[in-house]
Amino acid sequence: MKWKVTLALSLACAALVFVLYKGFGQDPHEVPFMLRGQPAPTFTLKTLGTGEVVSLAELRGTPVVLNFWATWCAPCRMEHPTLDWAFRQYGNQVKFLGAVFEDTEENARAYIARAGSPYPQLIDPRSQMAVDYGVAGVPETYFIDAEGIIRDKVAFPMDRATFAARIRVLLGPRASAELGK
Amino acid sequence: MNALLISLFLSASALTGAYAPQQAGSSPLEPALEARVQKLGKELRCPTCQGMSIADSPASVARAQLDKIRGLISDGKTDDEVRAYFVARYGEWILLSPKASGINWLVWLGPALLLIVGFTVIFRQIKRFPLAKSASPASAADEPVERELQPSASTATEDDYLKLVRSELKR
Repeated sequence: MKWKVTLALSLACAALVFVLYKGFGQDPHEVPFMLRGQPAPTFTLKTLGTGEVVSLAELRGTPVVLNFWATWCAPCRMEHPTLDWAFRQYGNQVKFLGAVFEDTEENARAYIARAGSPYPQLIDPRSQMAVDYGVAGVPETYFIDAEGIIRDKVAFPMDRATFAARIRVLLGPRASAELGK
Repeated sequence: MNALLISLFLSASALTGAYAPQQAGSSPLEPALEARVQKLGKELRCPTCQGMSIADSPASVARAQLDKIRGLISDGKTDDEVRAYFVARYGEWILLSPKASGINWLVWLGPALLLIVGFTVIFRQIKRFPLAKSASPASAADEPVERELQPSASTATEDDYLKLVRSELKR
């Protein structure tokens, strides 16, 4: 009888330790990345300035880098030069897209006029496309492969090394060899 | 000092434009549907001001998520489908109350289980050492001492040690 009580208490303790381990073992502020390996939510949005329509479905066959940003976000402004550099490095193999998050078109247009952007910036009305992607804040960058599958997400301002590492994974071994030349 | 620092930070933020411009949410749906929107909004965690629901949060991302709920409900989605949409994108993290399934049962049943274990331990202890039993031997044991401490002709004359104790107590 006594061993049963001991066993039950041990199990209860083990369960408690497990729950505490799960609870303390993760950052409660970190929003999980659920869309890894999932098809990227489709969108058809207008670009800032030109009003040209961009559809993700039409980009099938080309890897896409989709960056959510805002003018009021200091880390986004800090990341901007890295994305410009990345476009110059990999722009011939990857389609770069920016998406304005929770900002006005006027603010975004003024910022792009000042800082410049070599790739299209999308206007996402009411940030509904951002919610489709599970965006929790900016900057967030999604790496989508040629088949339209989300391969990775970076939820902090990237430096060149971080970006290069992600793009190598996105493009695979053959492209990595080309990039290494 | 803190108030000054906060004021300076807020002033700097206002001057540099480091804030999300306030945007109006989508129009409320008809009352019955809007009630569902608000109820679902109360169940979902705001990603920026955590610990608050998106229905209560003033954050712009929460407003965007509430707009998404309106859109989904307008499209005829059920409450479970709306919840599933958000869980698919943000994980169960987005739910302010975890689902009562799988390992989550530990969270729901744990407190009740601990109470039961606690009461069981107390009950067993009481059963093993009842108050009546523990009290009576003590009082019974005290009686002879009391009696012995009372001066009586037989003990006072026979026991020098008791005499000594009594004289010490009288000081």
